[in-house]
Amino acid sequence: MAGTGNLADHDPVAVARQFGEQVPHSSDLGMEVLAMEADQVRMRLEPGPALHADDAAEELCTSVLYSLVDSACGLAVFAALRELKPIATLDLRMDYLRPAGSERALVATARCHHLTDDVAFVRCEVSSEEEDGPVAIGNATFMRGTQSKRVATKASRGDTV
Amino acid sequence: MSSRTLEQDVCADTRATWQKLLERIPYARRLGLAIHQSGTGMEVHLPYRDALIGNIMLPALHGGAIGGLIEITARVAAQSRDAQARRPRILDCNVDYLRSARARPTYAAAEIFRQGRRTALVHVSCWQDRASTPVAHGRVQLLFETAPGGKIREEQ
Repeated sequence: MAGTGNLADHDPVAVARQFGEQVPHSSDLGMEVLAMEADQVRMRLEPGPALHADDAAEELCTSVLYSLVDSACGLAVFAALRELKPIATLDLRMDYLRPAGSERALVATARCHHLTDDVAFVRCEVSSEEEDGPVAIGNATFMRGTQSKRVATKASRGDTV
Repeated sequence: MSSRTLEQDVCADTRATWQKLLERIPYARRLGLAIHQSGTGMEVHLPYRDALIGNIMLPALHGGAIGGLIEITARVAAQSRDAQARRPRILDCNVDYLRSARARPTYAAAEIFRQGRRTALVHVSCWQDRASTPVAHGRVQLLFETAPGGKIREEQ
């Protein structure tokens, strides 16, 4: 998945981090971009007491994982497109395999595994930092080019639906 | 006491139960969620805050803010219906985004499709202007763990 799109002309991690930090909800929850390459993005979220699932449980709320996955999947689409073109989430499905302990940070790895002219398909795994195996898996579908003015640059690939 | 007043009392109890269940969720407090009673049942309100924005160009709410509203609404709805008020664990959540959610308050209502001894299936609709034009629709599967020593605690 080589290619020299707009993001590749700059440091892609720097661009992604800057973009990620501009998203108020992501920065409000303390998400950071660890890595961004080709079609894959890695994000991290520091736990905190306000993100717990219950006053009586040392467990992060699944909705925090949901937000992290939504953000990571969106960034993975930008990584695959090599451009910050407008996209919109069509749907997102989360499977919560086991509770995420509140003492460890979350790390989400999202990969855009298929891209067509209209749609991007992304899969994301969330794990607790320094633990084996995912705590959650997300699958998202995004619409591409959702704002009326489509940027004139040519798509660098010829995928069709 | 007229029957209408009695009905209102029952609804008030339900609202109080929902509010109590909601208040013990730290992330629900962080989102600022609140229970409101409508003519058709309980609603969960997500007040607008700038920190919920996911797209600053439109602007539009973050998909995760909507997802959180859906998950927590489903959880409170399922727990409020459980005879022992056990805290359910969310197994999976599937959200379809129907239109972009603007920088405004958002409302959610749950419909319990199935409530069993071990699982619950809850559908949640989210809207902003009118309930008839939802911004998102979610389907949530929840598990009530029954086995002793299970990982999910039963606090009540």
